[in-house]
Amino acid sequence: MLNKKELQALLEKALSTGADFAEIFQEDNQSSVLRVMNGEVTSIDRGNVFGAGVRLIQGIDEVYGFTNDVSFESLQQVVTNLSASFSGPLFKAKKLGTAKPYVDAIKRPMDSVPMAEKAAKLQELSNIMKSHDPRIVQAMAQLIENRQTILVANTEGIYQDDVRTYTRVIMMAASMENGQMQQAYEGPGRYMGFEIFDELDFKSLAKEVAISSITLLTAEDMVPQVMPVVLHNAFGGVIFHEACGHPLEATAVAKGLSPFVGKLGEKVGSDIVTAYDDGDVEGAWGRLSFDDEGMKTQKNLLIENGVLKGYLIDYRNARKMKMDPTGSGRRQSYKFSPTSRMNSTYIAPGKDKFEDIIKDTKYGLFAKKLGGGTVVPATGEFNFAVMEGYMIEDGKLTRPVRGAMLIGHGKDVLFKIDKVADNLEFGQGMCGSLSGSIPVDVGQPTIRVSSMTVGGAGGKK
Amino acid sequence: MYTNWIKLGLSKGITDLEIYAVKNRSLKLSVYQNKLDQHVQSNVESVTIRGIYQNKLSTVRFENLSDTNVSQMLDQLIENAKALTVVEPAIIYEGSPSYPEVHEDLFDFQSVPVIEKINLLKTVEQNILSCPDVSQVQTTMYQEVETKTALVNSKGLNLSRHQSYAYAYAIGVFKRGESDIQTAYDIKLAKKFSDFNPVEMAKTTIDLGVAKLGGKTIKTGSYPVVFNNEMFSDMLNVFSSIFSGEAAFRNMTPLKTKVGEKIFDAKINLINDPLHQDAFFKLPFDDEGVACQRRHVIKDGVFTGFNHNLKTAKIFNTAPTGNSFGSGIQIANFVLEPGTKGFDELIKDIEDGVLITDLVGLHAGVKTISGEFSLQAAGQKIEHGKIAYPVKMIVVSGNFFEMMNHIVGIGSDLKFNLSGVASPAVHIESLMIGGE
Repeated sequence: MLNKKELQALLEKALSTGADFAEIFQEDNQSSVLRVMNGEVTSIDRGNVFGAGVRLIQGIDEVYGFTNDVSFESLQQVVTNLSASFSGPLFKAKKLGTAKPYVDAIKRPMDSVPMAEKAAKLQELSNIMKSHDPRIVQAMAQLIENRQTILVANTEGIYQDDVRTYTRVIMMAASMENGQMQQAYEGPGRYMGFEIFDELDFKSLAKEVAISSITLLTAEDMVPQVMPVVLHNAFGGVIFHEACGHPLEATAVAKGLSPFVGKLGEKVGSDIVTAYDDGDVEGAWGRLSFDDEGMKTQKNLLIENGVLKGYLIDYRNARKMKMDPTGSGRRQSYKFSPTSRMNSTYIAPGKDKFEDIIKDTKYGLFAKKLGGGTVVPATGEFNFAVMEGYMIEDGKLTRPVRGAMLIGHGKDVLFKIDKVADNLEFGQGMCGSLSGSIPVDVGQPTIRVSSMTVGGAGGKK
Repeated sequence: MYTNWIKLGLSKGITDLEIYAVKNRSLKLSVYQNKLDQHVQSNVESVTIRGIYQNKLSTVRFENLSDTNVSQMLDQLIENAKALTVVEPAIIYEGSPSYPEVHEDLFDFQSVPVIEKINLLKTVEQNILSCPDVSQVQTTMYQEVETKTALVNSKGLNLSRHQSYAYAYAIGVFKRGESDIQTAYDIKLAKKFSDFNPVEMAKTTIDLGVAKLGGKTIKTGSYPVVFNNEMFSDMLNVFSSIFSGEAAFRNMTPLKTKVGEKIFDAKINLINDPLHQDAFFKLPFDDEGVACQRRHVIKDGVFTGFNHNLKTAKIFNTAPTGNSFGSGIQIANFVLEPGTKGFDELIKDIEDGVLITDLVGLHAGVKTISGEFSLQAAGQKIEHGKIAYPVKMIVVSGNFFEMMNHIVGIGSDLKFNLSGVASPAVHIESLMIGGE
């Protein structure tokens, strides 16, 4: 990586034609994916993303360039090309400051753990799933490790490095009976090293995945209907992520493309809904010490007792919106200009008990495990898939159902939340948007939505 | 440079190795409210090395091309290969006897001044804004990409591919009243800059958006369904992994024991057609250096065999099909053979049905191994053989394998998607629609 003196020189050059802000982001990301299938180590792939991105801004206009040739001469050329876009009065770059300490409390970094130890852990998980039932035809366990070293420097004097360590284990079991196949999976991840195996009970999770895969073989197709839906904790939070999280990002708000534009201080949901996006939850998959613009991450209140309190804002959109950035500037890699993104987003715990919510529901769907979703912020229309569901009849969980898809509208779904339990948990996922694919937590306690459109293939005459 | 890396690898004890290097140059521009909103230029070279060590094949990918890093990556490749327990064929290919020739004049998009590209976007935006139903244009985007791919290995293979293309689109926001908001866009792919026609691009986007306004949900129930050509391409694309030899080997497809059997309606012909004349990217060879070839995957409803890379071909004792792309097996221009019916004729016998023109969330609402799908959709109601009114916020659900056995008709309007899948519109007997 370039030294401070070189960075300072490049930043000064970047302001030589009229840009009023410049930033250089350098990255070296090492990753490893170890895969075990039916007990055998089938592949171990190593990856290395390496390069630098340069950003120039004048007012709210931005140009960005990136390359994997990080020599001073090469970046000088990038700066020359980019600065040609601007002309105007000259601004002066501040002197680069001193980097603040970042949290790097990793106990077992990826390259310190013997490959044989990693393989053995994963093989054990694969074997637990495979031996659960002869109908399990494929049991996959995958270890994904990432160590991203970054350095961001800008003309406001920010000079900040950070090392982010992510470890994730994906478990998938495929089952087959009478020519029909099903699959189930879990993918817990943390901002930590191989010590994740001391923190989480992967063996129980592997067993759960196998059970879920077998349950789905006998589940009935969901009959489409409009009904109350109880969304379980952890990954159930995907509803807030899609319905509200994305539409609260400055990328949508600054262009007026969100049902939440101009609604700060207004009621956007029922009284029992309070929600946060926190960039600094210890050990959380979605955490960062500093965001990709070098700003310290923070806990952002989004909604308090149903009232809209804040948006997620990056440096450039802060200028457009004339508001402060919220430490939410993120990007997949140097190949993306940063923009406002989520970290660990969740609905805060309420007072209800999970068991009581089920008991209180005469008829509905219990969405135990949720899959991915989508939202179009401009229209507010969102959807997300149910991986494992059960019918609720007379306050009891009865038959398993599969293939349910939930759809709704961001501006009214929060008003329909009529129960919030006290069992907050996080679920981990990769979120794709303008600045690429990044690790995020979704989270919530079990909640009930009084009425949702549920799709499915069942009930065909 | 590559030859030196191969020498270095061999000197470390790697038996055979292969370098797959991609040089990518791109320019991305976007316009918002008649101003340049985004301007991104890039130059990146990324390298993948596959190597065989003690009969085990392992892969490293990297962008730090310094000698020190390359040497470290090769050491890592050896470490990783040592830890593999599986016994599978490990092959680096000496090359196919011959390769199809691709004749294409590559346009140099850099020869067009940036200002002309920005003006194109501004014109598209202005033209869309001239429609009274448009409240704004969310973004108007142009991207040009040039890639040079080299495949060099220790068995003497030395191949290269060169591609150059650009695409542009605008996302229009259409609004009537307070609550009727819709977005629409149409991606225009171009092999040369003059292929872009801003007036036409704006018109297509406006037509798509206006057709969506006034949409409402419909009663839940089972309906005859027509997917338009783009949406059926998307469906074929997400389910294409069921034809992968790797999936068969890993028990991840229900088709494992079905080779030679009739699995779909006899009207279905699905063809891997790497050099199809309308394809955006013509593929002479795959990422392992195997010559690409035209091949029926489904012939008159009969499954003729899986798509294979070198490894799975060896396992199933057959020839590789030239389908090794990325890190797995993928389709190489996949075409559903069109029928003869025009669109109007395709829908003329539908009394009460639904035309699907939008599917949202294909990454989540599809389970390829079971064939189940359940997807947020929008489109048009079909009544008495004609388009009646727009439909939105519905969920279309069914099973891919069942659906492919209940094909009523296949249209003639074949269209390639960016994914390399081409399909005409297809009329399905019935699917469940979740609405109100």
